[in-house]
Amino acid sequence: MKGNVIKYERDNIDTDVIIPGPYLKIHDYIELSKHAMEGIDPDFHSRVNEGDFIVAGKNFGCGSSREHAPIALSTCGIKAVLAVSFARIFYRNSVDGAFLLPIEIDEKTYKSISNDDKLEINLERNEIVNLSNNAIYSMKPFSEIIGKIISAGGLFKYKK
Amino acid sequence: MSETLFEKIWNSHIVTEKENEPSLIYIDRHLIHEVTSPQAFNGLRIYKRNVRRPDLTIATVDHNIPTTDRSLPILDETSSIQIQTLETNCKDFGIKLFGKNSKNQGIVHVIGPQLGITLPGTTIVCGDSHTSTQGAFGAFAFGIGTSEVEHVLATQTLWLEKPKSFEIMVNGKRKNSFAITSKDIILSIIRQIGTDGGVGHVLEYRGEAIFDLSMEQRMTICNMSIEAGSRAGLIAPDEKTFDYLKNREFTPKNYDELVDDWNENLHTDSNTQFDKSFTINVDQIAPQVSWGTNPSMVCDVTQTIPFPEEFGNGVSNQIKSAEKALAYMDLKPGTPITEIQLDRVFIGSCTNSRIEDLIDAAEIVKGKKVSPNVRAMVVPGSQMVKYEAEKLGIDKIFIDANFEWRESGCSMCLGMNPDILKPGERCASTSNRNFEGRQGVGGRTHLVSPVMAASAAIAGHFVDVREWC
Repeated sequence: MKGNVIKYERDNIDTDVIIPGPYLKIHDYIELSKHAMEGIDPDFHSRVNEGDFIVAGKNFGCGSSREHAPIALSTCGIKAVLAVSFARIFYRNSVDGAFLLPIEIDEKTYKSISNDDKLEINLERNEIVNLSNNAIYSMKPFSEIIGKIISAGGLFKYKK
Repeated sequence: MSETLFEKIWNSHIVTEKENEPSLIYIDRHLIHEVTSPQAFNGLRIYKRNVRRPDLTIATVDHNIPTTDRSLPILDETSSIQIQTLETNCKDFGIKLFGKNSKNQGIVHVIGPQLGITLPGTTIVCGDSHTSTQGAFGAFAFGIGTSEVEHVLATQTLWLEKPKSFEIMVNGKRKNSFAITSKDIILSIIRQIGTDGGVGHVLEYRGEAIFDLSMEQRMTICNMSIEAGSRAGLIAPDEKTFDYLKNREFTPKNYDELVDDWNENLHTDSNTQFDKSFTINVDQIAPQVSWGTNPSMVCDVTQTIPFPEEFGNGVSNQIKSAEKALAYMDLKPGTPITEIQLDRVFIGSCTNSRIEDLIDAAEIVKGKKVSPNVRAMVVPGSQMVKYEAEKLGIDKIFIDANFEWRESGCSMCLGMNPDILKPGERCASTSNRNFEGRQGVGGRTHLVSPVMAASAAIAGHFVDVREWC
């Protein structure tokens, strides 16, 4: 899995900025995704490309239980969010619907990755390669069950 | 073997468990609302599934319902569609709905306890993070996403990894129990343990200062457990809990028997070890005011806006967060909190919109007028709260003081209905989140208690409410 980085140098990116409340009335995912990250980055939708990764600090996705948050990011093309830590409801929502991969990285890795870097993520080796400077980072492995749900394509497909 | 209260509830709800895998947990009550349920019902239809226990599923409209005259049509088309969709879904699947014109309509976490749907020892879920409110009754209550809403609708169960336990010991006695509220206690706790301090844990609030609180005050504490990142917040039930739930519309018929059982079982056994522990003393707590853009960025009303270096304590990310927050909030370090001028005041939300909150706020407002620079509104948490307040004449106190007296709903807590801040407007709010744009694009939120919000509305700026009572 390869993609370019959109980096936010901040902790506590909450679900209200990922997808602001007024848009929770939109049921069409494509329409919804036009407002992703609008709370802190109104240009996000115009600069995001299919396959991109978001890199951020601690407690990504804190706040509301809205599944619209991972849905909006995923519909824009975001394949993974790499963060120092995640709020649990966001983490579960991302995995449940197999919308995107919530990947936990350490503080040093977070600081080493820059905006626009190109990364390759290898889930089998739990490794992230920075193709822009050939640095190699480790990621926190997914627990067995999370790995199975992700491979199956979401909670419902896994349990079927 | 000694167990925590949480472990007791957890163990009594396991349907199946395997080593190193999440457990399948039975769900006793499922509350739903218009915003996080439509896709879940779509999923049921696509796979031709039924709702397994419509009798344990209860719906209401709260998030985007207007707080103006209910006899008028809803002007916002998308809101209107979402509300109609819930009505259709409830009809099709046989679910009880407290709709737009029901006397039981209200914020989902306010009506659950009020109707006696929330019971000690139960598991309660809702597609809303503030479901943690109901932990005040000794229930394991937590927010879920829409895929999980669908899972619960279809199976009445949920896969969950067992959270760890976190003891929050709240000791001491508040010096002024009118001016220093449970909102100040929970803001003080989050200020210290941080917005991710509770991640992966269920908080159990214990200690004399907790049991000194009324049920409604306890709900405010548990409500904001999610703002510390925790899965849920819990308080062991006591006589106040049992009295509160007695004779409610849905209180079970064998209530006295249940109370005996709860009395015997629903507490943490003595000498039980928690995974984590934190102690706070409320003797010296002052009224709290948030100055930043997350609920850990809080200070005493007597303090000044902190310098980012001081807040960040040498941690660069924290310093940057504080700088960004102050820029968004348009505040300068060193400014006294009491000099912050306000444009709006919002008394409402699942955190602070219950009858006691309104009674206390009205006590401050009585015989005074809202500052001419401020637009202030009161949004009761439910139709029942509104009715009760009107019976007590509290509505008149607010209206005479130039507050707007509204219909019930989530309103300006999350800006999904027309009640929003304009860009740049500054609001003293009794809600739970001061995130950027939460109350409207560019809006600036300061989280406070109802009495602090009421006094700020009158003065036009924050005041130390202890000096007013």
